[in-house]
Amino acid sequence: MNLGISATEYVSQIRNGQISAEEFIAKTLDRIRTVEGKVHAYITIDEQNALNQARIIDKKIKAKERIGALFGMPISIKDNICTSGIRTTCASKMLENFIAPYDATVVSRLKQDDAIIIGKVNLDEFAMGSTTEFSCFGPSRNPWNVEYVPGGSSGGSGVSVSALECVASLGSDTGGSVRSPASFCSVVGLKPTYGLVSRYGLVSYANSIEQIGPVARKVEDIALIMNTISGHDSHDDTTVEKGRVDYLQDLNAGVKGKKIGLVSQMTGDGVDKEVSSATNAAVSKFQDLEAECIPISLDSVEHSVAAYYTIASAEASSNLSRYDNLRYGFDLGTEGYEFKAYVSKVRSNFGPEVTRRMLLGAFVLSAGYYGKYYLKAQKVRAMMKSQIDDAFKKVDFLVAPTMPILPFKIGEKIDDPLTLYLLDANTIMANLTGIPAISVPFAISSSGLPIGIQIFANSFQDKNLLQAAYALQQTTHLPEVPV
Amino acid sequence: MVDRKEIEHLGDLVKVELQDPEKYIHQVDQILNYFNNLDKVEYDSDKTLRKEIPYESLREDKHEPFMTDGMSLISKLKRDQNSFVRAPKMI
Repeated sequence: MNLGISATEYVSQIRNGQISAEEFIAKTLDRIRTVEGKVHAYITIDEQNALNQARIIDKKIKAKERIGALFGMPISIKDNICTSGIRTTCASKMLENFIAPYDATVVSRLKQDDAIIIGKVNLDEFAMGSTTEFSCFGPSRNPWNVEYVPGGSSGGSGVSVSALECVASLGSDTGGSVRSPASFCSVVGLKPTYGLVSRYGLVSYANSIEQIGPVARKVEDIALIMNTISGHDSHDDTTVEKGRVDYLQDLNAGVKGKKIGLVSQMTGDGVDKEVSSATNAAVSKFQDLEAECIPISLDSVEHSVAAYYTIASAEASSNLSRYDNLRYGFDLGTEGYEFKAYVSKVRSNFGPEVTRRMLLGAFVLSAGYYGKYYLKAQKVRAMMKSQIDDAFKKVDFLVAPTMPILPFKIGEKIDDPLTLYLLDANTIMANLTGIPAISVPFAISSSGLPIGIQIFANSFQDKNLLQAAYALQQTTHLPEVPV
Repeated sequence: MVDRKEIEHLGDLVKVELQDPEKYIHQVDQILNYFNNLDKVEYDSDKTLRKEIPYESLREDKHEPFMTDGMSLISKLKRDQNSFVRAPKMI
């Protein structure tokens, strides 16, 4: 049995009776036991429940009962998305034993479509980071070279999909957190348009910019998962009613006659040579497919990192004020503490990156500096949105490298937060403006490390975006993951 | 320039007992200096992404008890009597 099959292949093999859900889950659990020691994708594995669910689905198939579109497919969930009955830790000591009393909307939709939640996967604490090194459970490792970072913050999602420990995963993308690990681990990752996928049950970090998004090995798998998770949710008033969209339909529409803009500010200084040549090669592939490619300048991109981290830190600082260890948290007696001392003591359990962002957030929101930082950041955001609107009057898609550099060694940049922040330079535009963006695996470097290409589309053009991503994917032939 | 006093004050604001304030001084200062790049941006308008939504398009503000697995969410929490939720004793 090949665990590396795509989600759509899985569905067709299980429908044909070539495989059973129980066999596939059992084999996936074997695979997890074999590779977890090397890659550390999972925080919690829900082994027994996964097997039980698989048996129920096999029975339904045998009895020819109605089965959901995902047919018992094993899916991992980033550990900042609430799952009833399985702990949701956010990779933080603050929530180490927290079990949510309800499922996030995306999780209940997956379950309704008969997906099997096989476990919860690693992340940077509260999704703050770009490498998954800031997890209180230790870093995840890149399956292409276990000495290297897998990207982040949804590193566990990227790793679990790339290392064949599940068929697909859900991550969250606040500044590139789905696309970064997708690029570094040679899998596909989508940040949908803001408002297309419910955030109900996603532990809040920066509400105005974050989105839940799927990670999978193929673009068609992303389309399949989007069919399940997207759409209006009465529990999340930022979701938009757009009617039913079938993302799989016309996926092979191609890019013939489309106009594609290469973002100049994302391809210049600071971009690794091999990443740069892969980007040029991707543009050539689009041209071969009869798309017209032109350079596009978006000068607000140069200020996006400063604007993004100002806004994200401000929202993080506000969101994380709720963790006082009273409503949920860990066991620490209150005896001998006055109220503030108790709260400050327990909150010292936040890791260094979360603490840093709370300090920054408090600073940029403080009375004397609000106009200097936060208000200006919001203006850059508005300027960027206006430039994006103008750009999409000229082109259908924008293209850039997902990550400006190749994956790097674990520990190499951990003490240099500003350098880590600058790695998000190409991804945060989509979060600040709400547009959808996808990372497609495109090349492997001379050192054997993956390179992803990012495509952006205008708001709610996610279906067209998947068509362009599929067209690019069909031009590639990449090696299998070595782990 | 951010100094130790300021970092400790920020720690106080966010209610975190900083184990090693020195560690954060240089990093926070370096990042805030980078944020100063926002001063260089030439704004072509005073616009921010603020949106105006007509009152009529807002949903009706009515109470809907939230149910999960056939139970209200509040009934799943550890409870004292009536509708009070038990929190750790502080004093």
